[in-house]
Amino acid sequence: MVSLPQRMRKLQTKLLAIRLGSGALVLPKDVTRIHMRFAQKIDGGHMGPRAFWRHELIRLKYHNPAVSMTIDRTATADDPAVMSVHFASADAPQSSDSTTQTSTPPSDAAPPTDRVQTIDMKHRTNLDILGELQKLTKAFAVEATAEEREEMQMLEDHRVKSARDSKLSQEVRARQKREKELLKQARGELAGDAV
Amino acid sequence: MASPARYCPSCLSHTSPSTLLRRPHASNAFITHQQIRTAAQSQNAQKYKRKDQPASQKRKKQRTTFLEPDMREAIQFPLVDAMRYLRAAEVGRPPTSSKYEIHLRLRTLKNGPVVRNRLRLPHPVKTDLRICVIAPPDSAAAQAALAAGASLVGEESVFDAVKAGTIEFDRCICHQDSLPKLAKAGVARILGPRQLMPSAKTGTVVKDVAASVREMVGASEYRERLGVVRMAIGQLGFTPEEVQRNIRAFVEGVKRDFAGLSDRISKEIHEVVLSSTNGPGLSLSGELRGVGSVATKDVGMA
Repeated sequence: MVSLPQRMRKLQTKLLAIRLGSGALVLPKDVTRIHMRFAQKIDGGHMGPRAFWRHELIRLKYHNPAVSMTIDRTATADDPAVMSVHFASADAPQSSDSTTQTSTPPSDAAPPTDRVQTIDMKHRTNLDILGELQKLTKAFAVEATAEEREEMQMLEDHRVKSARDSKLSQEVRARQKREKELLKQARGELAGDAV
Repeated sequence: MASPARYCPSCLSHTSPSTLLRRPHASNAFITHQQIRTAAQSQNAQKYKRKDQPASQKRKKQRTTFLEPDMREAIQFPLVDAMRYLRAAEVGRPPTSSKYEIHLRLRTLKNGPVVRNRLRLPHPVKTDLRICVIAPPDSAAAQAALAAGASLVGEESVFDAVKAGTIEFDRCICHQDSLPKLAKAGVARILGPRQLMPSAKTGTVVKDVAASVREMVGASEYRERLGVVRMAIGQLGFTPEEVQRNIRAFVEGVKRDFAGLSDRISKEIHEVVLSSTNGPGLSLSGELRGVGSVATKDVGMA
C-alpha cells in the first residue's frame, strides 16, 4: 500500500483536474439539460465530441451538479454529431426542484423544457465546442481561488523536486551497478586464470 | 596428523579410560575409521554455531498486521461532496454500468479468520437476479416462492428446459422433497459446471424455499481481502440519502460479523472509502453534508 501522503497528493491532483481547467463553467440557472449524440468511433469528425466529453464535460458537471448531462453514442460515423442544450422557460420551476426516479432512464428524468438549442459538433475540436457552448449559454468561467492556486503550486513544486531526486538516484544506482559488474568481471578473470 | 583432541565423543564412549591414555599408539586402521567420522564433527560444529547472525544477514521481522496510517493526515470528505466528484467523473457513462463502490479498510491481523457474508441492502444495487426454484408447481411452497420473487418454478418443465439448453436463471434453489427427482433428472452435468446445481453444501437445498428466495433477491456478497472489504453500494442514480442508508446498513452488517468472530480476534474499521467504477477513491469523513456542500437533490441528477 502506498504511503498516505503519496495517496493524498495523487487524489488532490485528480480532484483539482475535476475542479479546474477548460470547461470549468457555471451555467446560468435556466439551463436544465445538456445532451450529446455522437458516434462510438472518431471517424468522420467525431473526435471533438469525445474529447469534449472526456475533458470539458467532467468539469462542467462538477460545477453544475443539478444540470442533467447525458450522452448517446449510438450514432454512426455518417450521422451528425449534435449537442442539444435545453433551457427552462422563465417562469418554469428551476432544475433542482425536479424529482428524479432512480430507475428511470435519464431521458425521462429530465425536467420539462420549452426551448432547445443545438450545436453542431462535427469536425470541430473540443475547445471550439466549448466556445460555442459558452457563447450560447452565456456561462461564466470559474477562477481558481487563492487556496487552490497555493495547492497547485505545492503539487507542482513536489513534482519538480521528485523529478530531480529521481534523476539523482537513477545516476547513483547506475554507478553502483557498473561498479558491481566491473568487480564481477575482475573476479571472473581471476577464476579463469586459476583454472 | 590425528591428534587426540579431534576424537569425537561417540568414539570416546566406546573406549575405556586406559585406552584413551594409550591413544598415540593407535593403529592405522583406527585412523581411517576416525576420518570417516568427520561427518559427526560437522554435526557438532552445527551445534555450536553462533546462533545470532550478523545484522546484514538477519531477516527483518515481519509485520503481523496491515499498515494503519494515521487518518488525521488524510483528506476526508462529507458524503455529498464525494458524490459530487464521483458524479462528475462518471458523467455520460451508461447509467446501468457505473456503480458506487465502498471499501472498508480494517485494523486486523494478516492471518486469521476473514469477514465474509451476504447482505441485503435497503436499496439493492442489482435487482435483476433471476432465481429458479425446483419444487412441485402446484404446491404451497412453489406459490410462496413465486410470490417472493422467483422467476421460474417447476420440476419437469425446468428439467426439460435445462436439457434443451435454455437456462434463463442466475441462481437455482431446490426444495428438499424434490431433491430425488432432481438427482434422477440428470441435469447435474449441465448445471454443475455453471455453479447452478443445488446442493446442501452451498445452502441451496432448503425446506423454506420462499424465505431463501427472499433472502437471495437483491442480496450481495462481500468478503475481506487483504484487510479490505469491498462492495458495490449503489447505482449512480441514487440520492445521497439512499447511499447513506446503504452505507449504514453495510457497516452495521460488517460490525455484526466482527462481533460474531471469536473473542480473541479483534477487528475494527479503520477507514471508509467511497469510489465509483471510473472515479477516484475518496475517504469519507462520516458526515452527510459539510460547509459549502451543494443541495442533496442536485447530486442525484444524471
